[in-house]
Amino acid sequence: MDRQPVPAMAVTADMILQRRRGKRYTQAGVYLILCVLVLWSVQVTIIEDTDWARMGSLAEVWESTNRFIGIDFALFKDLIGPTIETFMIACLGTLLGVLLCIPAAWFGALNITPFKPVTYPLARLMMTISRSIHEIVWALFFVAAVGLGALPGIFAIAVRSVGFIAKMSAEAIEDIDPGPVEAIRSVGGNNLQVLIYAILPQILPQVLGVIIFEWEINIRRSAVLGLVGAGGLGLVFFRQMNTFNYHGVMSVIIAILALIVLGEAFSHRVRRAII
Amino acid sequence: MPSNPTPGPVRSSQLIWSRYKYPDTLIRYGAWLVFFVFLVYSIEYLNIPLDRLIGMFGRMGDTIANRYYPPDMAYIMDHDYLQYVVETIQMAYLGALFGLLLAVPLGWFAAHNMTPSKTFVYPIARLITMGCRAVHEMIWAILFVSILGFGMLPGVLALTFFCTGFAGKLLAEEIEAADMGPVEAMRSTGANLFQTMVFGIFPQIRVAVTGIAIYTWDVAFRAATVVGFFGAGGMGWYLKRNVLQIETERVAAILVSILILVMISESISAWARNKAMKMK
Repeated sequence: MDRQPVPAMAVTADMILQRRRGKRYTQAGVYLILCVLVLWSVQVTIIEDTDWARMGSLAEVWESTNRFIGIDFALFKDLIGPTIETFMIACLGTLLGVLLCIPAAWFGALNITPFKPVTYPLARLMMTISRSIHEIVWALFFVAAVGLGALPGIFAIAVRSVGFIAKMSAEAIEDIDPGPVEAIRSVGGNNLQVLIYAILPQILPQVLGVIIFEWEINIRRSAVLGLVGAGGLGLVFFRQMNTFNYHGVMSVIIAILALIVLGEAFSHRVRRAII
Repeated sequence: MPSNPTPGPVRSSQLIWSRYKYPDTLIRYGAWLVFFVFLVYSIEYLNIPLDRLIGMFGRMGDTIANRYYPPDMAYIMDHDYLQYVVETIQMAYLGALFGLLLAVPLGWFAAHNMTPSKTFVYPIARLITMGCRAVHEMIWAILFVSILGFGMLPGVLALTFFCTGFAGKLLAEEIEAADMGPVEAMRSTGANLFQTMVFGIFPQIRVAVTGIAIYTWDVAFRAATVVGFFGAGGMGWYLKRNVLQIETERVAAILVSILILVMISESISAWARNKAMKMK
């Protein structure tokens, strides 16, 4: 602006100070709003809504917690089958989800979507629906549609995991280097060949990492689908809970933990090997 | 190529280019074989009726079109329902907040580079974050409902445990990825562990922590919509009631309302994340 450096400096320093002060005020305002929200929420959800009289004293709460402490070792041999079932539901669900995510990722990536005004929003809407509805709700829906058993669980897992995998894959596709695509196009490759030879090799490591990550989460999800009738460990959990066998409940939780620890160790290994 | 036999000592089989050489190809075919055997075996084990699979999709479409289709929008505009929606949001907020507060010390203890004691505190903190995260929020909800009775409190506690594990892991990873240079510098001037944490690590991870907080809120809200399913308060209870009464049009309406709420929450958190990145 001016050629005189000193007044310009003064103005800048003043402005910086002022801006910093303004920033501090906005920050204080945000924290104030958050604190008021906390107080209000505590008032409504914890103080008013809870039936303190029914819950009784701390000793009584401790007594009801105490029922859960202990493990029913006799149950473990009956848990092997459901554990395998849970694991398989997670694997098949992830696999089906990956298959479903191919069209979703293709439509949802801005640079390769076939017809932008229609297919792109459609794919994005599908991804949001898939991610925002909880797996329990999906399982309920599929149990109502196809009946009890492992199949609704697989469908629920698949539909639930499409959103995340497709979103990450679409982002990976949007970030690819356009060079190979042009190279394949310039020698006469059609869309499918471009997809297979130019796009897939570039995104494969990233997408595989996402799939394994999602598989690990799916083990955790498939362990609860039995609560609404989709087989696996959740069903045993529900049964133990309803027969008030609290030590059996703990056994089921330990089985779930063991399965998840194994899955996590495996996925950690594989992801490190890929990247 | 059979139509054009190559002369000389070079045999045609050697001319076929292949990306992978002998031991690699064997491993690859082996992996595919294992994969397909597992696939077939698990379909067999889970008793999946493959022959009925095709017909199912038609029936599913029928179900959606006939029973779920016109969602009963008047139902979700009801005053009572909206009140439950507000309570769900409050529950998610408290759960995410308490979870984050608990996750800060846990994440610190579970970060390999900053933990106070690698032999004792580190494994315990790792175990706690693992356990909180591994047990599904629904299982937490059922456990707390059976201990504390119906209401919002077990819901808040279930979400708190879930968020603790979730945010604790992300936080620990973030701390482990931080640059250790400032920490070294402060240690050499005699700063203790707490001071290095506050002045050495925290300024580095501040923006990431904001991101983690927003992400945790997102996840907590999605979980909060269904935690009520087993009696832990919020709109999940409405969902369960209508599912049990086979009021499918109302169920569809509730699902639509969940979808709208999640979309709103997602766009708000995307906006907040952008804002936080800019304030860096």
